[in-house]
Amino acid sequence: MEISFIDLSLGNVVLLFVIGFVGGLVSGFIGSGGAFVLTPAMMNLGVTAIMAVASNMAHKFPKAFVGAMKRHKFGQVDIKLGIVLGISAEAGVLYGAGLQETIREVFGKAGSNLYVSTVFIVVLAIVGGYVLRDAYKMFHSQNPDEEKTTQLAKWVQSVNIPGTMMYFKAIDARISVLFTIPIGFATGMLAATIAVGGFIGVPAMMYILGVPGLIASATELVIAFVMGMGGTIKFAWAGYVDIRLAMIILAGSLFGVQLGAIGTTYVKPYTVKIVMGVIMMLALLSRGIVVPVYLSELGQIQPLAAETASLLGDLSFAVLLFALAAGATIVFRALIKGMSEHRAKLAAENAEPGTFSTAAEPRQLSPVGRMERIMLVSDGSEYAESAVTEAIRLAKRCQANLYAFSVLATPDFESPLGQNLHELDKKAMVDNLLKVRAQAEAEGVSCEILLGHGSDPFDEIVDQAEVSAMDMIVMGRRDKSDLLRSMMGGTTAKVIGHTHSDVLVVPRQGKMEGKGIVLPVDGSRNSEAAAATVVSMVSKCPVAVTLVSVAIDPRLREDAQGHADQLARLMANAGIQVQVETRIGSPDAEILACAQERGADLIVMGSHGRTGLDRLLVGSVSERVIGQTQCPVLIVKL
Amino acid sequence: MSVERNRTLKKTLIYALLSGGLYYLMYHFEDSILELSRQGRWNFILPLTIAFVFSIVHGNFTGQFWELFGIRAKTTKK
Repeated sequence: MEISFIDLSLGNVVLLFVIGFVGGLVSGFIGSGGAFVLTPAMMNLGVTAIMAVASNMAHKFPKAFVGAMKRHKFGQVDIKLGIVLGISAEAGVLYGAGLQETIREVFGKAGSNLYVSTVFIVVLAIVGGYVLRDAYKMFHSQNPDEEKTTQLAKWVQSVNIPGTMMYFKAIDARISVLFTIPIGFATGMLAATIAVGGFIGVPAMMYILGVPGLIASATELVIAFVMGMGGTIKFAWAGYVDIRLAMIILAGSLFGVQLGAIGTTYVKPYTVKIVMGVIMMLALLSRGIVVPVYLSELGQIQPLAAETASLLGDLSFAVLLFALAAGATIVFRALIKGMSEHRAKLAAENAEPGTFSTAAEPRQLSPVGRMERIMLVSDGSEYAESAVTEAIRLAKRCQANLYAFSVLATPDFESPLGQNLHELDKKAMVDNLLKVRAQAEAEGVSCEILLGHGSDPFDEIVDQAEVSAMDMIVMGRRDKSDLLRSMMGGTTAKVIGHTHSDVLVVPRQGKMEGKGIVLPVDGSRNSEAAAATVVSMVSKCPVAVTLVSVAIDPRLREDAQGHADQLARLMANAGIQVQVETRIGSPDAEILACAQERGADLIVMGSHGRTGLDRLLVGSVSERVIGQTQCPVLIVKL
Repeated sequence: MSVERNRTLKKTLIYALLSGGLYYLMYHFEDSILELSRQGRWNFILPLTIAFVFSIVHGNFTGQFWELFGIRAKTTKK
């Protein structure tokens, strides 16, 4: 079969970039892949249907990978379910792609185009209709849908077919893979045809398997990645992928996706649904207009005059451009209006956009561990429970103000249901923050709450602590497997690496009851800062302090002893008597052993604040200590 | 804030250069890439690798780009 790549003139490049940008803008806003706009747009440029789908897939699967990684950080992905569904989806993709090739061989280019266009029309009519109905309901109710397990899902979860049962964390139940296989297969078939399998995958996971919406949409990204990569390999194996097309669209769409996703945080949910529904219907109309041309080429209807066919093609493209322009206009208007209103509202409240209320007077972070403004970071998971309790107790003991902060993942869903799920997620986060505030106020601690949005939680946390001049950030730690235990990784490590505030990391069941503090020292300025903080803490709340200095080699024992003695003297001058221990061995192991032997319930360490390559090469003692200890660790920043 | 802005500016410039470089390379070797793609089979590794690398580098650039202009998601305060 002849594989022809279209000529990429400057005009085509600009057009593809703009289509990519607007498609990305719309898809970032309405939460779907945008393929239902991009694929026909490429076809209108003269790209054959099969190559349009192939190239679209090649630009979508790495995006799904990046999205899945982001959502995994938020604990929203069921990897096992994603892989199980992904494998059967892969089979669906292979079958779907094979079907397309067969159609193309039997019925030619027009047959292939007709098949893709027909699937587009049917799927967009169903999904677009559902979305518009949902928007209408939302507009009148103003309440996001409550998430309930359907009767069907309850039945599926109750069926036991020996030898086929598998446990999935997302639903906390065992279900038969005989249910997952057809769902995956159908998702894959649709993806191979119009490149948006999520239209089937996400609703099926929610309504048939009973997966919570948030996890369903995040897990869909794993499926999208697995089948997208498989599909790309399949198409690329046959030589159909025009990577230039894919990358030009990607260039524009990545700008658009980010902007569209930001836009969603400024508008009402039904606006998003209306935009989604209208664009889907216009895309449907655009495809519908050219169906007679394909039918004529296939000899199914009276042949159309060349002028008529050309006119219908132009009209189809014009409708598509109108759909894109309409979507982009609504998104831009919503973004500009929403941003200016938000800023005006915050200006009236005398606050910076999206920050906690500022301190009464300008302040700098104190090198001696002042604790007046404590920022609690909570994601609402069980890992954050101890952090919440300890932050409230600390704020009460130090008479500090508590600021509870959560970060909501900016939506990057691959499903038209994505935005609705985002709203459910937002509601859950706000409910959790309200619960934290109620818990704090019950203890007599004043608590302000704030919900941030971002694609990377650590960036939001670090920036928020910076602009709100927080003295300390309190956060939980996710439990890791044995393999990962020594390397804490993730958001906590990044926050420690980048923030200027002190960070208190509280593991699950970690409690500070004043049993003792272990203060590791190594003669650096960082240890001195940690010691100053301990002095400040102990002067308010007396507790036994053990100063531990670890030499990695017996020959360095004297140096280690010297560092410890020097700091012990300084602390004695400040009125704090400490016990000194010098140990030989691996620093993190010895610090942990010392804390355990002394029954300490807090480790205070200075941070070297290594980031990037430096941290990768040198590693971080504090990171390994935090990753393995069962007691809270306070990291003091210079 | 200026520290944060400098950090963003630095990151944006680095990713912009990397991204621009990648697109330049793609067009410089356009004919070879198309020829290899057309042959298919094991050459599928080429478009696959290009897609991954571009997505990560250009994705980081675009994210930083909007951040640099202060276009950020709305933060909800209660």
